[in-house]
Amino acid sequence: MSGANPVAAAAASSATAVPPRRPGVLKRLLREPIAALALAVVVLLVLAAVLAPVLAPTDPFDNDLASAMAVPGTPGLLLGADGQGRDMITRLLYGLRATLLIGAASVLLGGIVGGAAGFIAAYYKRVDGLLMRLMDVLLSFPAILFGLAIAAIFGPGIPAVILALSIATVPLMARIVRSAALVVMRQDYIEAARATGMGDGRLIFRHVAPNCLSPMFVFATLRFGQVILLGSALSFLGLGAQPPVAELGSMAAEGRGFLFFAPHVAVLPCVVIFIVVLAFNLLGDALRDALDPRLRV
Amino acid sequence: MPSIPVFASDPNEKGPSMSGFLKAGRRRTAALLGGTMLSLAGLLPAGQAAAQMAPKGTLVVLREIDADRYDPHRTTATAAGEALFMLTDTLVSMDWDQKTIRPGLAESWTVSEDGKLYTFKLKQGVKFCDGKPFTAKDVVYSINRWIDPATRSPVKWRAGPVKEVRAVDDLTVEYELKEPFSELLIQLAQYFAGIVDQATVEKLGDNFGVQGFNGVGPYCWASWTPRQDMVLTKNPAYNWGPPIYKNPSPQVDRIILRVIPEANTRLAAVQSGQGDVTQWIPYFALDGLKRIPTLKLVQQPNYFYDNFMGFKVDKPVMNDPVIREAINMAVNKAAINKAVWFNAGEVADSYINPNALDYSAEAASKMPPYDPEAARKLLDEAGWKPGDDGIRVKNGQRATFLLYGIQQTYNNGMMQAVQADLRRIGIEMRIQLWDATVAWGKLATQEFDAFVMSYPYASATDALALYFPGANRPTPNRMNWNDPETDRLIAAAKTALEPAVRAEAIGKLQALLTEANPWLPLIRQPLWVVSGPRVEGVRPHGIYGAALYKGLDIRLTR
Repeated sequence: MSGANPVAAAAASSATAVPPRRPGVLKRLLREPIAALALAVVVLLVLAAVLAPVLAPTDPFDNDLASAMAVPGTPGLLLGADGQGRDMITRLLYGLRATLLIGAASVLLGGIVGGAAGFIAAYYKRVDGLLMRLMDVLLSFPAILFGLAIAAIFGPGIPAVILALSIATVPLMARIVRSAALVVMRQDYIEAARATGMGDGRLIFRHVAPNCLSPMFVFATLRFGQVILLGSALSFLGLGAQPPVAELGSMAAEGRGFLFFAPHVAVLPCVVIFIVVLAFNLLGDALRDALDPRLRV
Repeated sequence: MPSIPVFASDPNEKGPSMSGFLKAGRRRTAALLGGTMLSLAGLLPAGQAAAQMAPKGTLVVLREIDADRYDPHRTTATAAGEALFMLTDTLVSMDWDQKTIRPGLAESWTVSEDGKLYTFKLKQGVKFCDGKPFTAKDVVYSINRWIDPATRSPVKWRAGPVKEVRAVDDLTVEYELKEPFSELLIQLAQYFAGIVDQATVEKLGDNFGVQGFNGVGPYCWASWTPRQDMVLTKNPAYNWGPPIYKNPSPQVDRIILRVIPEANTRLAAVQSGQGDVTQWIPYFALDGLKRIPTLKLVQQPNYFYDNFMGFKVDKPVMNDPVIREAINMAVNKAAINKAVWFNAGEVADSYINPNALDYSAEAASKMPPYDPEAARKLLDEAGWKPGDDGIRVKNGQRATFLLYGIQQTYNNGMMQAVQADLRRIGIEMRIQLWDATVAWGKLATQEFDAFVMSYPYASATDALALYFPGANRPTPNRMNWNDPETDRLIAAAKTALEPAVRAEAIGKLQALLTEANPWLPLIRQPLWVVSGPRVEGVRPHGIYGAALYKGLDIRLTR
């Protein structure tokens, strides 16, 4: 785990407001062996999740109670079977799929809403105070509490988890975007664009937003790891994926009662969560380094 | 089972702690289980383990969950019974067979010809924990408090249609009913009919059973820390225990009822001597525990605690008897027992446990046998044809339904297995399990089509008269079962004067239900009690789920 505070990390790079898509970012990223490895792992994980229906050796929902909790290495079951006798490989692939979906959807949804709030707060001074205090209020609720409340109202399920994690992401993204946008707004080219009579919307989209993308991107990557962890925790508590849908957190919860008896049922999904979160965190760190001009040699 | 987040990220979103998961052993076979456990226990230095053992004279009972309160008239929790049966006594007691009524606080009783007047002769010399003598007035007060609408007891119907309860003299109670109630004595043996002290109730008010208690049981209330420990001390005067025990007096000085929600931790605690006895054993561990020579495992075969699925018979799809019958034929209960219950349970192939009072073997023989092929054929013939996605359709209605239940390991495992079995015959079951804190509220709604539940019962009439009367809709009759014949048979069984008449009426009802399939009986829970090396005399009873019942005959050797 990188241990880096994502807000500080993103803010650090926001202060310098490096323009995005400058040539050489990927190259700089790949120069770091750990970053290259993290990127490779992320690509592999995403591919595995997307191709789960093709890669999975069995139907994810069809059980075979006769081989319940078969140990890894059982003929035909390389990683063993879960409590329903379903192939762990299949369950892990589909679990990864659901977990990554939760992560991507929450970061995207929370990022867009939070980003919009951040731009509005930075651009329109009149709503700044109100909007940011609202974000402070949101920030004071733990994501788990949101999850509990939303699951109680709408019923547990993946949509409830995505909603809860999106809401929890909004204030974080809003703060980062606002601070980045405030720096950009002071630049001369913004003055110049305004002088040409450009409208507010166009100014934000054409000039402010693109110059804030790199901190947003770094934060989103780091946030992805956290959201996956939170999503798994919510599923572990029974608020997320409902059976028979596989999700890494709920798979861990299902195996938890049998740690002494069949450790692989709980340990394997945890190992996958660990790898996913580690890979995304390392990637986020490396991305920040690659995008930070102060670290450029 | 309450879930404890082992790796739940904290609200401030710091890194994860997965050590709980990674510490797990690697071996699986049951034979090795004992070894794994012992080695785990062996991780504790011997001196420390000994230091954690309770002092001589103190029995540590491990439990899974705590109750909301310990007021016999204001709770129905199974967990409350674990303490309440020890904290106070009832007029009559229940034998190990769960059928025969034995004396309790009443040494004898008579029933009038018309079945409406019960006269109880009370034992002499019975004293409350605070030393106050127990008299007939205390019985009158306790029963009246139980059935008083202001007490809001969820189970006051168990007291029967009471006309009046009178104290004729200090040792005679007359219990008069408006109409006969054939199972009154069975109900009076439950903890809901427990005797409480009026002065203590009035002193503590709403906090009776929370801050204190005063009863006539073998053990007295010392302290309660919710979700942690309940401490009971011996009632020194107690010598009026039920005759089913060899010694009518308690033989341990103190009992600590300790809550350890996590199954694996509880298991390790029994093995390391931190706990002496528990009925809450994870089923996968039973075989392993039997191989450990220092531990004793005893089973109670007469234990009636069943898991079943119920169907809302007035909802689309569920209102088709063919669907309900096909579901009953499609589910492989033996495989579920093996995979989910580690073969510790018993397949429920009837509505009522064969060992329970008034079980009807004839009704049980009508139970649809496991035969998925026949289930498919049945559905085909009824016009339920498989659609594009494999799920059957009839008249534009997809064969899909929503199931609610409590989020818990066994529910989760059983329902996923049922879900897969039903998918094979073309019926889709959507599972929604709720956290226990909201589940009961959700289970009182009409949002769902089916539900999964487990419940303790005393007899066939007790079980069916709770769930099936039309008047008990929407809870506990969550099936919305509303059938005049059912109501008539329940009334006949409840008011029967002769046991044979009751058995016939409730037997007919069992047959009626078995043919109509408002339920899918699943697995009967077993009752095992494990006790450690210094404990002797543990015999599981299991009345309303309470394994240790009065806590008598239990001795500590060191």
